[in-house]
Amino acid sequence: MQKKKITSKMLIPVFSASAAVLFISFGYVKYGFWHPTRGPLPGFFPVIIGSILLVMSVLGFITSLSEEGTDYPLENWYPAFGAVLVMLATLVIGMLPSLAIFVVLWLKWYEKYPWKTTLIVFAVIMGIVVGAFVFWLGVPFPKGIIYDLIFN
Amino acid sequence: MENFTMLLEGFTVVLTVQNVLVVLLGAVLGLIVGAMPGIGSLAGVALLLPLTYKFNPTTAIIMLGSLYYANMYGGAFSAILLNIPGDSPAVMTALDGYPMATKRNRPGQALFTSNMSSFIGGLIGMIILTFTGPALANLGLKFGPAEMTALLLVAMTSIGWLVGENPTKGVILTLVGILVASMGMDTLTGSPRFDFGNIYLLGGIPFTPFVIGTVGFSQVLKLMQDRNKKVEANLSQKLTIKGSMLTLHDIKRLLPPAIRSGFLGTFVGVLPGAGATTGSFMGYAMQKAFKSEEELGTGAIEGIAACESANNAAAAGSFAPLLALGIPGSGTGAVLLGGLMMWGLNPGPLLFSSQPEFCWGLIASLFLANLITLIIAVGIIPFMIRILTVPVKILVPCITVVCIVGSYSTSNSMYGVLVMFFSGLFGYVLDRNGYSTAPMLLAFVLAPLLESNMRKSFISSHGSLDIFFQKPIAAFLILVLFAIILTPVIKFALKKIRPAQKSS
Repeated sequence: MQKKKITSKMLIPVFSASAAVLFISFGYVKYGFWHPTRGPLPGFFPVIIGSILLVMSVLGFITSLSEEGTDYPLENWYPAFGAVLVMLATLVIGMLPSLAIFVVLWLKWYEKYPWKTTLIVFAVIMGIVVGAFVFWLGVPFPKGIIYDLIFN
Repeated sequence: MENFTMLLEGFTVVLTVQNVLVVLLGAVLGLIVGAMPGIGSLAGVALLLPLTYKFNPTTAIIMLGSLYYANMYGGAFSAILLNIPGDSPAVMTALDGYPMATKRNRPGQALFTSNMSSFIGGLIGMIILTFTGPALANLGLKFGPAEMTALLLVAMTSIGWLVGENPTKGVILTLVGILVASMGMDTLTGSPRFDFGNIYLLGGIPFTPFVIGTVGFSQVLKLMQDRNKKVEANLSQKLTIKGSMLTLHDIKRLLPPAIRSGFLGTFVGVLPGAGATTGSFMGYAMQKAFKSEEELGTGAIEGIAACESANNAAAAGSFAPLLALGIPGSGTGAVLLGGLMMWGLNPGPLLFSSQPEFCWGLIASLFLANLITLIIAVGIIPFMIRILTVPVKILVPCITVVCIVGSYSTSNSMYGVLVMFFSGLFGYVLDRNGYSTAPMLLAFVLAPLLESNMRKSFISSHGSLDIFFQKPIAAFLILVLFAIILTPVIKFALKKIRPAQKSS
């Protein structure tokens, strides 16, 4: 008999079933389902929804067995890696410099655009960020450890 | 007549310098975002949501409304000039739009037809909205918790069950959306729930970062696949406004399908789960039953007019249940509803009476947005090719930056960025596996309302299910719910039975 390969199509219903079990157990045990005089308790709704989700997840898992798996090209994850680096760099040098470096490195180093295009796009996107979010909305973006060490 | 007077009062709310500028900004941004292939109205509205924080609720939602509405116009541009629909309602526009632009060598006229039809369809939708919105709200006043529970179940099920190719997947995500929304505080008692000891989870999953991640950041990851595709327009002539004008004969051909589809689209837009895409498909299908001067699919004006009018009418029509009952018809509608709730407005039957200046201001702003978008859409025809051919390679870092700053700005903490990041990864994995995230967003927004109404119903009935069958409206809605649930099941069964009968 041929062994069926595990795909993410099968894992999603498994994940949703696990979430359902978690919500049912917490809902029933910790928050309560029904009170004889007060009626439905905080766990009432999540337990009902979790129970339906559990049944649907089993159905979803059965359906997934006949479906083809899907691929996840490594290249598609690059923006996610970039976002992680921006979040880490934010702790050190602040969010705006991290984003500025991200845009320049992405366009110049990864996409190999000439400096002219890189700087135009950089100016446009940073202009929007600084203009709309810093000046207009007044968002206090994090400045990072280095800034804090120098100025505080 | 009273509605008309209220609409005029709505115009007095809208016609301030700030609101007109906001409609203008929403229209320009909506056109650009809608026209860029691969972004779409849902991601567009989600990404631009943080920009509205500075405004008062009326101005903010006016901007989002005009943005959403202009998106419907924008989607057609790339469909006509590049054969790449800007978003799903524009899929049908490409069938005749692209051949008209390339084979018939009339790209400007194809764009003009699309703009004019969008305007006509939208106008019909808005006029109907003006008269049906308050009527629907009056009907909604008869709704108690049991009726609201049944209605919310119909809305959620119809979108979860009908959007996407697999109903099971739609329902799974609807339920996941409800459970995610139940984290934080209990809707009735206010006690902490499913916070798992985390101080951030105590406040629940924040709406804006969740939406930006699920539809915006996941879109960036999807776009990576197309980053090496060259986008070029196959046009032999330069686009000018003068060269894009329609002849009198063209207008005569355009009007009947645009008007017919305007009415059909509005009706479709009012139904939960149907939305602009279904409106566009149905408008085109209906046109097949009527005579067209040129065969549909070969660049017929009638084909463009039918679907463009229908999708804009549906977009306008969907505001009726959104405002009057608090039921969004699509994922974008859910984001708009979330925006309303963020500003402390509770859409529902009482909104028309408790916040009339807001409701009528919004409806009036749609009229204004329709006109302004038409003018801008015609004005930017000569520059459209440049906007449409912005390489995906440039869009990827730009959208990533907007996702990060947008999600940070909602809570002024990195928690928002983390929520955006993880929901983006989740949205991407779901998309790769054939799950549509629209039902999850809708469920996320509507879950608190559903829970409080369901619990109130059970409190008043002492736990008996009879409450859903004793009142005619609730009973009717429960019947509709069963019909929606059973439709795909019966279809599936028929599919299995027919080949078996044939082979026997």
